[in-house]
Amino acid sequence: MTTEPKDAPRSSWLADRLGWDRLRSSLDRHAVPRHSFFFYIGGLTLFALLLQVASGILLMMYYRPDAAAAHASVERIAREIPYGGLVRGVHVWAADLFVAMLLLHAFIVMVRRSFKSPQELGWLSGVLLMLIGIGQAFTGAVLPWSERAYTNARVGSQLAGYTPMVGDWFRRFLRGGEELSTDTLSRAYAFHVALLPAAMTVVVAGHFYFISRKPVVALEESNTKTIPFYPDFLIRQGVAFVGILVLVLTLAIFADRSIGTVADPRLATPADAQPPWYMLALHYVVRTAPRELLGVEGPRFLGGAVTALGVLFAALPFVDRRGSRITVWLSWVGLFALLLLSFRALH
Amino acid sequence: MSSSEDPTSVGRRRFLNLTVGGSAAAVVVIGGYPVVKYLEPSAQQGTSGPTRVGAVTEFPPDSAQVVLAGEHPVVIVHKADRIRAFSARCTHLQCIVAYSAEHQQIECQCHGGSFALDGRVLGGPPVRPLTELSVSIEEGFLLVSVPG
Repeated sequence: MTTEPKDAPRSSWLADRLGWDRLRSSLDRHAVPRHSFFFYIGGLTLFALLLQVASGILLMMYYRPDAAAAHASVERIAREIPYGGLVRGVHVWAADLFVAMLLLHAFIVMVRRSFKSPQELGWLSGVLLMLIGIGQAFTGAVLPWSERAYTNARVGSQLAGYTPMVGDWFRRFLRGGEELSTDTLSRAYAFHVALLPAAMTVVVAGHFYFISRKPVVALEESNTKTIPFYPDFLIRQGVAFVGILVLVLTLAIFADRSIGTVADPRLATPADAQPPWYMLALHYVVRTAPRELLGVEGPRFLGGAVTALGVLFAALPFVDRRGSRITVWLSWVGLFALLLLSFRALH
Repeated sequence: MSSSEDPTSVGRRRFLNLTVGGSAAAVVVIGGYPVVKYLEPSAQQGTSGPTRVGAVTEFPPDSAQVVLAGEHPVVIVHKADRIRAFSARCTHLQCIVAYSAEHQQIECQCHGGSFALDGRVLGGPPVRPLTELSVSIEEGFLLVSVPG
């Protein structure tokens, strides 16, 4: 039988069971730059995700994943269910915010060269999160089964069909067949509410584990003043969460997101059909690309080029092990190119 | 001699690791195969044979319109006493095309593609012509066969 010395600090029953002292000493060792706004983006991305999870669970109570009923069920949520419009607005705006934060987070990691060794797994898990996040946004945009949702599902799955080697299989896999149908909708629903969130939970946990396990070299090299992660940084992060919550609620209340008319596969795709904002640049390139490039059909060539760029992007810490200035410049050039192409797509 | 230094023990541990790892891999493959096949739509999925799309009288001469054959949007073109059917999916990015009576052609408003009434590409980004589908008439109804 062991006995504690009389002058040993007493910890509560719960703290003892939780191992709070060990956790606290681990948190005390972490520090973040004092005035860097960049370090709040990762947490804000997670917060936007949590807002989507909470509002998404509420939407599931009334949504019906059937081509004949989906649009009407979304209309009912927005118009008849008490606070349904608010819940839907929070979900839609938080989704946009989540994708924006995800892209901004990736951009900041690139320009700060935080991806370099030994953060390879942190980067790879982050790239995987981006893919899952875009998959979430894509499948979610299909669910209202509006004219716009139908067009985006049709064109988006066809673009995915231009992935080298696995394209045809991938397109059929996304659609649940050769043509869009109610199978497409129920498949998008299953991915949106179950498979992708489960994958995201695992990958987010892995991402946190990887970035906390190994030092971020760029941070250690920066020599800026730091503050303790706990409680200083977490309190500031909490304030930022409240700010984001207020922003999303304001947008959900005052900036209505139209559901649009119900999808009709017999109607011609309208000329002004616009993809989601994060696909505008790709949309513009596909729209204006030559019919053939190097003897290959234009979209097929672009599909190969985008896949190659994606592989290069994922392999960044292995291609640029030390985090060179070229990567920083390319990140800025890439950002301006994306903004310019998106702007051209709108006009 | 401790067990960690015993070469027989190391061999046994390695054998156990391989057995457990191999069994886990076998379970994943055996369990995963039916799941993948369940999720993978058949390449042959389509309408099972000719599908009735409407009475012949619904497609008057010198007209064209988009109708559904099962889930597939198809353009029915009635020109010069001949009824032809084409997939209404633009061969560029599969937007749904429409008939333009004004220009006497089939147009894709999505990215500006245009096709002649026999499916040939007239302009815009598409490279391949519209896919022609076989049609037949049975008891006054038009039937269209859509391959998978």
